[in-house]
Amino acid sequence: MRQHPDFRSAACAQFEALLEDYVAADLGGARAKSVTEHLAGCAGCREALDEAAAGARLLRAVGPADGPGPAFNRTVMARIYAAEQERTAERATFWQPFVSLGWRFAATAMLALAILITYEAGWGRRLQPNLAVVRPSNVSDLFSPDPERAPANRDEVLMMLAENNHGNN
Amino acid sequence: MSDVPKTMAASAQTLALPGNTGAKQEDWELVRLCQSGTAAAFEELVRRHQQRVFALVGGILRRSQDVEDVAQQVFLKAYLGIRRFDQRAAFSTWLYKIAVNECWDYLRKRKVRPLVYEADLSEEQVSQLDGIVSAHRPPESPSQRAEARQAIERILDTLPEQDRQLLLLKEMEGFSVQELAEMLDLNVNTVKVRLFRARGRIMQAFRRRVKPGGKTGARPATPTERKR
Ligand SMILES: [Zn+2]
Repeated sequence: MRQHPDFRSAACAQFEALLEDYVAADLGGARAKSVTEHLAGCAGCREALDEAAAGARLLRAVGPADGPGPAFNRTVMARIYAAEQERTAERATFWQPFVSLGWRFAATAMLALAILITYEAGWGRRLQPNLAVVRPSNVSDLFSPDPERAPANRDEVLMMLAENNHGNN
Repeated sequence: MSDVPKTMAASAQTLALPGNTGAKQEDWELVRLCQSGTAAAFEELVRRHQQRVFALVGGILRRSQDVEDVAQQVFLKAYLGIRRFDQRAAFSTWLYKIAVNECWDYLRKRKVRPLVYEADLSEEQVSQLDGIVSAHRPPESPSQRAEARQAIERILDTLPEQDRQLLLLKEMEGFSVQELAEMLDLNVNTVKVRLFRARGRIMQAFRRRVKPGGKTGARPATPTERKR
């Protein structure tokens, strides 16, 4: 059994990274020189280097694995599109209750506005002349409303109540 | 895939990406286009990097059936996160990190270690590999190469997981030491030392397959999926 490269001397440890560069033919200048000098005097590193070079030869002989199929990128884009759709749908579901609440509120407001306008245009105008007839511009009449007549507004109701109370006391 | 809209399905070339002056655009330019909503730019990035992402995922998950699915998932995650990518690192570095994390997530969720071959090599395989190592005789035909690759992967499977990944990605798939250091969060020198030692170990593992007297420990190959 060969000696394991991990068990070379401590001095060899500092050359390991450089030896890797040496195997990868990625070493030049002063660093290459220092490695060569160390290798000349160290059988352990020479053996480790031979092993590493043989390992590299073995692994590089076969090249990369087969890539993905030709439809890969289209499948990826289809998945991205599906995820985008899902995200949009999720966002819509989240806001849906708020949106429908908003619509309900808007519809109620519109209805109220329509009633108000209708009242102003029709009922209001129809009631106005009557008030003018039953309420002549007599100031004393204002303080003695006709008991037969229904109160025309909130003020008259209050006046009537006050009067009644006064009368009862 | 017929329901994919044209803006996404059409190729980047035919779409004439904004800012494309005819020269090949750099990754960072395509990233910027993606960030401003041009999906076709991302399709070009997929086309450029799919081979290496596939190799990386395949290298970590071994020959799992799910390599293609996980590789697609890597690109999907990259697309969804690209607006947050600040381009301080290269796009490839960022993408490979996503790929490594996605593989680890996959293995953790499955609670299994990748396929481990406990079997030895056939005599034919040993003599083929011996030809590569001793006689510098690389396999010639694609079928020989495929067979040699299968045998080498089987030896790699006997190494510690990190040694196996480093050797496979560096020597077979062509990743650089720098790329490996970045994607695995390791120091460059650490990667070099580990690679150097791992190369020695793969030769030891190979020699263990060749018993004294030239006989091999040939047994039928039976992959096992081990629970962690
Ligand atoms: Zn030494």
